[in-house]
Amino acid sequence: MFKELFNLALLQHTIRTATPLILAALGGLLTQQAGILNIGMEGMILLGAFFGVVGSYFFGSSLAGVVLAASIGALVGLLFAFFVIDLKSDEFVIGIAINILAGGLTVFLLRSIFGVKGAFSSPKIISLPRLNFSFLDNITILDTIFNNHTVFIYISWILVILAYIYLYKTPYGFWLRASGEYPKALETAGISPKKMKYISSIACGILCGFSGVHLSLGYLTLFTENMSANRGFIALAAIIFGKANPIGTFFAALLFGFFDALGTRLQVVGIPSQFTQMIPYLATVFALLIVTKRQLAKANKNREVKGIEN
Amino acid sequence: MEEILIELRNISKQFPGVLANDNINLEIKKGEIHAIVGENGAGKSTLMNILYGLHEPTAGEIYFKGNPVRFTSPLDAIKLGIGMVHQHFMLVPSFTVAENIVLGIEPKRKKFLVDREKAIKETKELSQTYGLAVDPEIKVESLSVGIQQRVEILKALYKGADVLILDEPTAVLTPQETAELFKVIRKLVDELGKTIIIITHKLQEVLAISTRVSVMRQGKLVGTLDTKDANEHLLAEMMVGREVLFDKLEKKPTEKNEVLKVNGLRAKDNRGLLALKDISFSLKSGEILGIAGIEGNGQSELVEVLAGLRKKDGGEFYINGVEASDKSPREIRKLGIAHVPEDRLAMGLSTEASIAENMLMGSQYDEPYRMKGIHLNKLKIKEMSKKLIKEFDIRTPSEETLAGNLSGGNMQKVVIAREFSFNTPILIISQPTRGVDIGAIEFIHTQIIEKRNEGCAILLISAELDEIFRLSDRIMTIYEGRITGEFDAGQITRQEIGLYMTGKNMNSSEEGA
Amino acid sequence: MKSILKKGNLEYLTSLFISILASLLIGALIMMANSRSPLVGYGALITGAFGSTYSLATTFAKTVPLVLTGLATAISFRSGISNIGGEGQLYLGAFAAAYVGITFTNIPGFLGIALAILAGALVGGIYAFFPALLKVKYQVDEVITTIMLNTVATLFTGYLVNYPFASSQGKMGGTEMITESFRLSRLVRLSTLNTSIFFMGFIAIVIYYLMEKTSFGYDSKMVGQNSLFGRYGGIKDKKQMVVAMVISGALCGLAGVFEVIGVHYRFLQHISPGYAFDGMLIALIVKNNPIGVILMSIFFGALKTGSISMENAIGIPSELVSVIQAIIILFIAGETGFKNIYKNWRLKKLHQGKVGEENV
Repeated sequence: MFKELFNLALLQHTIRTATPLILAALGGLLTQQAGILNIGMEGMILLGAFFGVVGSYFFGSSLAGVVLAASIGALVGLLFAFFVIDLKSDEFVIGIAINILAGGLTVFLLRSIFGVKGAFSSPKIISLPRLNFSFLDNITILDTIFNNHTVFIYISWILVILAYIYLYKTPYGFWLRASGEYPKALETAGISPKKMKYISSIACGILCGFSGVHLSLGYLTLFTENMSANRGFIALAAIIFGKANPIGTFFAALLFGFFDALGTRLQVVGIPSQFTQMIPYLATVFALLIVTKRQLAKANKNREVKGIEN
Repeated sequence: MEEILIELRNISKQFPGVLANDNINLEIKKGEIHAIVGENGAGKSTLMNILYGLHEPTAGEIYFKGNPVRFTSPLDAIKLGIGMVHQHFMLVPSFTVAENIVLGIEPKRKKFLVDREKAIKETKELSQTYGLAVDPEIKVESLSVGIQQRVEILKALYKGADVLILDEPTAVLTPQETAELFKVIRKLVDELGKTIIIITHKLQEVLAISTRVSVMRQGKLVGTLDTKDANEHLLAEMMVGREVLFDKLEKKPTEKNEVLKVNGLRAKDNRGLLALKDISFSLKSGEILGIAGIEGNGQSELVEVLAGLRKKDGGEFYINGVEASDKSPREIRKLGIAHVPEDRLAMGLSTEASIAENMLMGSQYDEPYRMKGIHLNKLKIKEMSKKLIKEFDIRTPSEETLAGNLSGGNMQKVVIAREFSFNTPILIISQPTRGVDIGAIEFIHTQIIEKRNEGCAILLISAELDEIFRLSDRIMTIYEGRITGEFDAGQITRQEIGLYMTGKNMNSSEEGA
Repeated sequence: MKSILKKGNLEYLTSLFISILASLLIGALIMMANSRSPLVGYGALITGAFGSTYSLATTFAKTVPLVLTGLATAISFRSGISNIGGEGQLYLGAFAAAYVGITFTNIPGFLGIALAILAGALVGGIYAFFPALLKVKYQVDEVITTIMLNTVATLFTGYLVNYPFASSQGKMGGTEMITESFRLSRLVRLSTLNTSIFFMGFIAIVIYYLMEKTSFGYDSKMVGQNSLFGRYGGIKDKKQMVVAMVISGALCGLAGVFEVIGVHYRFLQHISPGYAFDGMLIALIVKNNPIGVILMSIFFGALKTGSISMENAIGIPSELVSVIQAIIILFIAGETGFKNIYKNWRLKKLHQGKVGEENV
């Protein structure tokens, strides 16, 4: 029983289920660092999944799917930014609106473009290419971890590192973080915080688009209604759990992916999966509690330091 | 030497509903310390934000060394060597000192990466050059206010500022820190040839530090004069537009019985530091007890404890003999304290609610406004609001108008009308005329005196010495959470009070670390 | 009613009207892009929603959960605490009702119904209590916690309905049917409209009264607008928030109860297609005004019902209405922003001529 569950296939499964979470969470952490709570990721992923299929189906290339999904993602990111930054709308209202819009629009388009309800699948949808490093074939564990994945898995790993470098080692990353923490400080330094927020929001849209494409063109080539299945919210959970740091968020997403994978396998063996599926959500509530409590304590402590200097 | 560095010509700035700057002409000479004074809302900060490129003027031109320039962002101003130190520091708390100083123009390596070593090195050099010691690698959030200001100044200098705009730089500083700052300013001007523009409303400071002074009033520039030709009285007159001589207020003799007794009260501030250290006093009916002190010396905490909004840390107080130090705000109101808070926007009202709703606060559980313990009687509430609007001369189209649409003075009158209408034996009034126009000040002062004459015990907290002197029967000074002196009005001069307010009469070796 | 027509409200009603119109216009454009007639489409939608007793009944049947979740949102948002967890509270409330309906089969019908209603409201309220407590005690952001708890609840009820309470008839994802005497009776043949609409009406009146006419409603509003002001005025602001949240949760629980005892007669794993989110949209659109919630719920219910007829008439998928609904909320959310942009633009135009004369 134990061996059936915890084997290399589980590891492989974890990597696969974690990837869309990682991609979306990377996007979301950029907006989070820029001071915007983005709960529209769910909808952005869904749109990405749908338009990935559209692009792939009509242009006969998965790249076209990726490009289309990313473009739509960028557009939605732009829309989100426009409302939140320029119109100063409530970010959470706009997030909800995007989720509902995406839910309605994908089903509407699914039916008007493909004339089907529920799900659409066709041999004409080209899936994402997979990579195989043949020199790893014989080393079972490395073979499982590194081989036979779609390109996005590798891209997501690279992006984690890039995001880290971007945020903490480049000026633009400093600006982005400043735009979230204290936009006026950035503005008086002559850099537009608005611009940084826009950039983060658009990047988030694109990354959520990638996340969606990975869902619809990664292993199964199909689109189903509500395909994002709460991944946007789990991604948000990963961001909070990982304190919006790319490395931390990556591992949080990996952990949540693991529970997801474990749940699926438990179900196969006839054990209720609901409790493992609950873990990311409950973990987030607890993480938030701990983080907030710690922040409160830290704030108090910092102030005390100040007091001594006065 | 008399080179004109910056010239503002006919600058106007219109915000929705407010003309913040009205046709302003101003010259800044090289190497001068130019003070700009004016009351809150006179348009000083707006003007400086225009000069720093944060706002674009609606009309008018800026000339730099005789050439017309146009600022669309602070970058344009920075390029010409104009730097600004804002009243609220523009520092990212979680960034280090060095990261804050180089923000926006980070030294780079490999084209894309921030050169951290270089940033730290340059910060160190900078702080040595100007004699402003800071640790480049410490996070800003753990620094004191004075040091943070130092970082702000360094930041501007790092960007090559020759002209430094300081917006209310002393507002948050202790007297020691202010003295320190003035030393730095003099050094920058005398030794390093910088030009300083300093915005303030503290006239003594203007006279102490500046070479020239410009006065602003209601968006207009009233005039510019050499500081040596100016005095406090003249500047004050220019600031408010007329002789600041209020009518004498008539105080009637009253019967004086103790209604509030405070005994060894201690309390912590938001930071968890002891802000009130052993405060004792007694307040009698029919008197106004003024508390004079520089802001941040425990006044806010004292008021909050007395209003039930902050937990005490020790000691106790009695309202008409009833121990009240652990009571809730509601219970304290019932026992007989009404309270005009220092910040009306933060605590005194809801800008999104109507005047009537704001008037109701505090009596929503009482007959006749609430019937049968649940139902609000809108008619009675309306009647009461209308009556108060009339009594307190609140300028508003109707009692349904949102409080946020009123002017500062009228908002304050809403708060005062409500608190005064409770007819409590004790009133705590904090900063009653802050950000309020002259006409309303006069009105509010008269109302306060009237309350006193009716026999109400009033605890008055104000940062304006004028106000304290004008209204109080007795004056107490507070410094670092302690009462440092108590006087009958007329027994003490402003100069003497100033000494008590800065703790100078106490052991001075405690200060200056 | 006079107060609804105050100047500020009138301005808002205009914006709302324009927003709805613009969204419907976008819907019309989409129809035209598919070379269908929007006139025929919207015509069918209106007849489909109001044209017959059956369609009216269906519209109102759809209104029930929307009003309850909409009021739930309104009461929490107005108190300055955001209950986004309505969906989870709804599921738990629904399950609680089903549990009562399949467990206490021996008690009389009216008692069973009362018990189901109580159980659902209680469970929903308790589930909302925890995030509220975390918020007031530790300042944990309730937006995120309630979102997360939604899924926890749907997963938990999903477990219950698939394992311990799985139907013996082999139907996956549903409990046994509840006792017949506990079922609310249907009002119109073929339609799911049932007597829960009377319960809903009663609850709506109570909530309206509570929010608009009582000191409780006043306290809530003040705390929501400026909690420090409330505390200063003697309101127990934290308690006020927690109570509002619990009421909100109870209302969502009730929405679930009525789905079970009025519509499906059993708990289903996917019993709500996102009612709480629709309810939230409704509350946001009408800015937490209880009467607005009721009217907007009818409008949304009509859109949902009529969309099927629209689809039958012109072959445009009925999901178009979800798109329209989302666009309405986008417009409303951007209302102030759009107005400011317009004002600034006018100001600029005004100042091209003269400067400074318009001193206010």
